Amino acid sequence: MFGLPATTALVLFGFPAFWIIYTIVFLIVTRKWGKDKEENK
Amino acid sequence: MNPVVLIFLVIYYVVVVWIGFWAVRKGAAKNLEGYLLGGRQIGPLVTAMTLQATSMSGYMFLGAGSAGYTTGYWAVWYASGDIGGGVVNLSVIGRRMRKLSKIMGSLTSIEYLENRYPSPATRLIAGVLTVFFLFFYVLAQFIGGGKGMALVTGLPYWLALLIAVGIIILYTYLGGYFAVAWTDFFQSIVMVVGVIWIFIAALSYVGGFSAANHAIAKIDPTYLSIWGKGLGYKGQWGQVAGAVLIFSVGYMGWPHVVTRHMAMEDPKTARMAGLYSTIWNLFFVTAPYVLGILAIIILPHLKDPELAIFKVAEKLLPPAVTGIVMAAIMAAIMSTADSILLQTGTIASRDIYQRFFNKNATDKQMVMVSRGLVLAIGVIGYIVALVKPPGVFAIVVFTTSVLGSAFLPSYVAAVWWKKANTPGAISSMIGGAVVAFVWKVAGVDSATAIHPMFAGLTVSILLMVIVSLATQKSHPVPKHILRAIEETAKIGPIPKEMISMAEFALNPEAEEVRKLVD
Repeated sequence: MFGLPATTALVLFGFPAFWIIYTIVFLIVTRKWGKDKEENK
Repeated sequence: MNPVVLIFLVIYYVVVVWIGFWAVRKGAAKNLEGYLLGGRQIGPLVTAMTLQATSMSGYMFLGAGSAGYTTGYWAVWYASGDIGGGVVNLSVIGRRMRKLSKIMGSLTSIEYLENRYPSPATRLIAGVLTVFFLFFYVLAQFIGGGKGMALVTGLPYWLALLIAVGIIILYTYLGGYFAVAWTDFFQSIVMVVGVIWIFIAALSYVGGFSAANHAIAKIDPTYLSIWGKGLGYKGQWGQVAGAVLIFSVGYMGWPHVVTRHMAMEDPKTARMAGLYSTIWNLFFVTAPYVLGILAIIILPHLKDPELAIFKVAEKLLPPAVTGIVMAAIMAAIMSTADSILLQTGTIASRDIYQRFFNKNATDKQMVMVSRGLVLAIGVIGYIVALVKPPGVFAIVVFTTSVLGSAFLPSYVAAVWWKKANTPGAISSMIGGAVVAFVWKVAGVDSATAIHPMFAGLTVSILLMVIVSLATQKSHPVPKHILRAIEETAKIGPIPKEMISMAEFALNPEAEEVRKLVD
């Protein structure tokens, strides 16, 4: 892909894909954090 | 020196200083919590951007480009971890650290450690380690700023250094954390605009990404390998682990970075800040490394690889855009330097001066002492950077490895593991710092092909677990701390009676009294 060896392409594009999935899962799992409002407000 | 480039730089500096004065007018520095944590009123977008801009120093424009230019795609391992650094930090400790710091009434990341692991030794060891290593880190940023300014403006190094350091000190001195966070926000935008602009120009110049890789393969096909030029890192998984860890989980051990959690306007801020961090990182983090790689074909005979991105900008962009890229480089350097300068001054004043020399210092006195120390550290840094400037980027990687190894287990275990106790934390901090330090200084990393960060972190984690478990009977975690950790795990507002709990305010003196009563 893009003239790169397969392992290089995997690292170059695989890690960003992993972090996108991680962030989406983080947002889904933490839906209830909205209740964690500032205690003084 | 092109006047158009200079105009853009001047505009950039004016905006940064204006933000500093604006922060003062907002009254952000009127009390100690305001000066040190911006009054804990920083929202998700600014939290994310100050977290990222502080984490990404001038290294990203000078060191990352150099790594790409000299090693090829091996350098991408560093970016691979770095993209997730912000969201990992915010998802693992962000919400809980905000909450626990509020319950314990902690205003600095080192005070937080002493409240969670009660002992004057915790603060003394953590404070001295942090001040020592962060001073060298800020020194590296000063030198980078001075050299960058000299390069761009043609001014002599001493004058360029004076301007760069003077501006950083001015707005940090004036507005404290609030000024630092908002200037970081502005600087993060400049950084990402600068890097995207030059990246697009470079890709267009080389005829696209595939064409560039084919051209690089003709020079040396091993540049394209993930094991680096000449396959120099082939099979060195210890180096790979260190490269990925240092900028992914490593941020959780940097005192000047985790302070951002404590300054969030509320615990849930961590959630959206995590999203914004990832988006910003996807655009910013990998590009400087790939730009260094593209420079192999754009400028094949470059004498100083650290200037790869600067020289590519100079060659490909019109002066106005070069001015923006130069401002981006200065932004990366300054946004890290200001945070470290404030953090070093804060720790030296509150965690060492007030804690051990003047316990009755008032808020006003402490702001004055913090400001005085920001000024003193800045001036000392300027003199050292002028008289005997050490190598910049070796210092950055070295100090971040030591800090990450020393503090990561203590910050993570503070909110996630109730059995983590004072002896475990102290041994983890000392063991992690010593191993990472010796590993690099004695050249063990070259002999074993294991990164100092990986070695230091492994020892630090093991010591935290083994020593904590072995000393549970002799050093149990106090009940009020266990209660605070349990509250931290819950979702919902902190009960009023738990905010800045008296037990923590009296700590560790309260422990001594409690022992006598018991």
